[in-house]
Amino acid sequence: MLAHFWVAFVAFLGAITLGAWQMYIRSPLHAWVNNPEYYYRSVTAHGTVMAYVLPTLVAMGFGYAISELALKRPLIGLRWAWGGFGLVVAGTVLAALAMGLGRASVLYTFYPPMIASPLYYLGVVLVVVGSWVWVALMGINLRAWKRDNPGASVPLAMYGNVAGAYLWAWTSLGAAIEVLVLILPASLGLTDTINAGLARVFFSWTLHAIVYFWLVPAYIAFYAIVPRAIGSRLYSDTMGRVAFALFLVFSMPIGIHHLFADPQVGSGFKFVHAVMTAMVTVPTFLTIFTIVASVEIAGRLRGGTGAFGWIRALPWDNPMMLAVSFSFVMLGLGGAGGLINMSYQLNETVHNTQWVTGHFHLIFAGAIVIMYFMVAYDLWPQLTHCAPLPQGLMRLQLWLWFIGMLVLSLPWHWVGILGMPRRMAYYDFTHPDLHPQAWTVTVSTFGGLMLLVSALVFVFILATARRGASAPAPYTFSASAHPGARAPLALNGLGLWVAMMIALTVVNYGYPIVQLASLKEASVPIIPIGSR
Amino acid sequence: MSTGNGVARWSVIALVLLSLASLLVGFVWLPSVHADFSAQGLWASICRAAGVPAQWGDPAERGKLASTSTNVVLERSMAREAPPDAVGRGGTLSTQNCTMCHGPQGMSTSGAPNLAGQYPEVVIKQLEDFKSGRRASPIMEALAKNLSDRDVADLAAFFASQPKARVAPTTYSEALPALVRVGAPLRNIAPCISCHGGVDQKLGAPWLEGMPREYLIAQLHAFAGGTRHNDSHAQMRNMARAMTEPEIAAVADFYARKGPPPER
Repeated sequence: MLAHFWVAFVAFLGAITLGAWQMYIRSPLHAWVNNPEYYYRSVTAHGTVMAYVLPTLVAMGFGYAISELALKRPLIGLRWAWGGFGLVVAGTVLAALAMGLGRASVLYTFYPPMIASPLYYLGVVLVVVGSWVWVALMGINLRAWKRDNPGASVPLAMYGNVAGAYLWAWTSLGAAIEVLVLILPASLGLTDTINAGLARVFFSWTLHAIVYFWLVPAYIAFYAIVPRAIGSRLYSDTMGRVAFALFLVFSMPIGIHHLFADPQVGSGFKFVHAVMTAMVTVPTFLTIFTIVASVEIAGRLRGGTGAFGWIRALPWDNPMMLAVSFSFVMLGLGGAGGLINMSYQLNETVHNTQWVTGHFHLIFAGAIVIMYFMVAYDLWPQLTHCAPLPQGLMRLQLWLWFIGMLVLSLPWHWVGILGMPRRMAYYDFTHPDLHPQAWTVTVSTFGGLMLLVSALVFVFILATARRGASAPAPYTFSASAHPGARAPLALNGLGLWVAMMIALTVVNYGYPIVQLASLKEASVPIIPIGSR
Repeated sequence: MSTGNGVARWSVIALVLLSLASLLVGFVWLPSVHADFSAQGLWASICRAAGVPAQWGDPAERGKLASTSTNVVLERSMAREAPPDAVGRGGTLSTQNCTMCHGPQGMSTSGAPNLAGQYPEVVIKQLEDFKSGRRASPIMEALAKNLSDRDVADLAAFFASQPKARVAPTTYSEALPALVRVGAPLRNIAPCISCHGGVDQKLGAPWLEGMPREYLIAQLHAFAGGTRHNDSHAQMRNMARAMTEPEIAAVADFYARKGPPPER
């Protein structure tokens, strides 16, 4: 587990440095980037690490930890887990090699007909296959526990963990098919055309639900760690299960909202996917309600009274309290922006602008990654037997991350509405139309620098944790406010929800995939990167 | 136990109802208010909403519209290295009609474009366009008319095998003219080196290093004025139209800056 976290955070540190460089190089503080290829190479590396390597390793490490701590038994298949980890690391190294050589500047979203070196795709495939080992192990461990504890409620943390694993197994299939069936043959030179529209539909299969795979560890932390860490109880265990089950059903068959501007998909499917996207706000609202209620319990236990008095009574010097508040603020802002993205009509106004970049940085890098930090802080004493981590430094790190992320992404939202396109290596700030927007890019650069400093502090805290002599106190997850309540049968297993997820996927994706796959004219010549 | 089943049953029913409702709205109700969708009845409107490729306009007119700039579809197979016999045949062919203007080894001394080291798919595309009249030139149209597909491929193979006018490709440097290096983003002019070598070399984009200056200027003017229009996506017409005269001169100076290598 420790190995997972370390590889994840070291890669994260590298990628965030690239991110800060990208922000600086395209700001008015620096001349236009020497060679735009370097810029896109950097964007590819930043995206690949942040989207695939970091969250996958955190989910895997956290998942193994949950399996041992929540089920209170050693992990079954430890050797396999190391094998999976080895695959992820090998894949990361392969992909890094291809990106470093400039043979893979296709961005992490692949964008066929651009074709990168096969090494890059093989690297990504290895990362994904490594994570499938984790999926299988999570399923096996849960099954074994259920067999030995017939009729008992599955601990909520494990329930969410396995829900996340199954979600990932199904959603990663889209990109896996895209890479194995469409892209790799072209990358290996077996064919020189590619069905780009179909490839984009397959990628959208993965692209949206992957963000819920990133999100699940953060939500597990909300439900299973936050109430305990601030001296409270979880308001409703069942609501947590409902949220995870709804994520399983609705996060997958909605990816076509990434293709609103793509001509190859029919408008009917675009509309249906927009409706289903609206449905994923439900588990998020449920979560916010439940966690705020749980936090209120803490405030009232500490003597807070009145409609708002409990807020003042909260343990504000506790880093976990700080983190969950920051996370909710960023989730709220980013979620409100997301409602605009998912609307079939409003999307037109922000499509491919910096607004979108601002949105997903606020949600993922903001609301979710700040909870990854907390997961690491919370587990560190268990994993390394270290002395308690320095609270002051943790608070500083969280404040820096929160303010840095707002300073980075709010200007992006603003200029996105003004029409600034995303994925540009440089902007001509001397032009009278652009000059008034130049300051926003400078502001974002400082936000990026704050994030870099925050990331350095984060790794510093973990790296300098002193090994304590005494064994840590036994690890616990949040206790429920209504102890002893049994989860409804349907919410103690995942079978029903997985079946609904697959059925809905077939309804929402079946026809577009079959239709595009059978369209002979849909193939276009490939564009290998760096071939000449 | 019963609550478990109740939750399951109601979840499934709710999901089915939600799906049906959104399908009805997306495939029937919303298209019904668009004349384009509903003109041919309910079933056609559902098909359109599902993304079935639709035929628009008069089928007889379609062919004419589709082929205004070029008939050539660039394929990567055109860019492959040819076998030696093709190079030999191309060399023989080149002595008949090409060398007078384009030079014995594809190095022009007359203001005609150099063909030495040109990418094969470029030569193929231009010859095919001359043949079909998509690119206008009294001389080249007449000469290309008699070439078979194999002749065209052989000539392309021969010229591709010859040493280039300038061996070193453009690599990125701050000293390059602005338009070559970074283009002009707000005028939608892409940097030359993002297609013509330097940052990337796109299929069908010619090797420009060492081309005669007058030829480059004439072609940019022809693209800007629309007398040359065989760029399949109007990419060069759009670039050239946005360029000023001094910019055209600067770019042409740059690519012509090293003329032919010393006499052999």
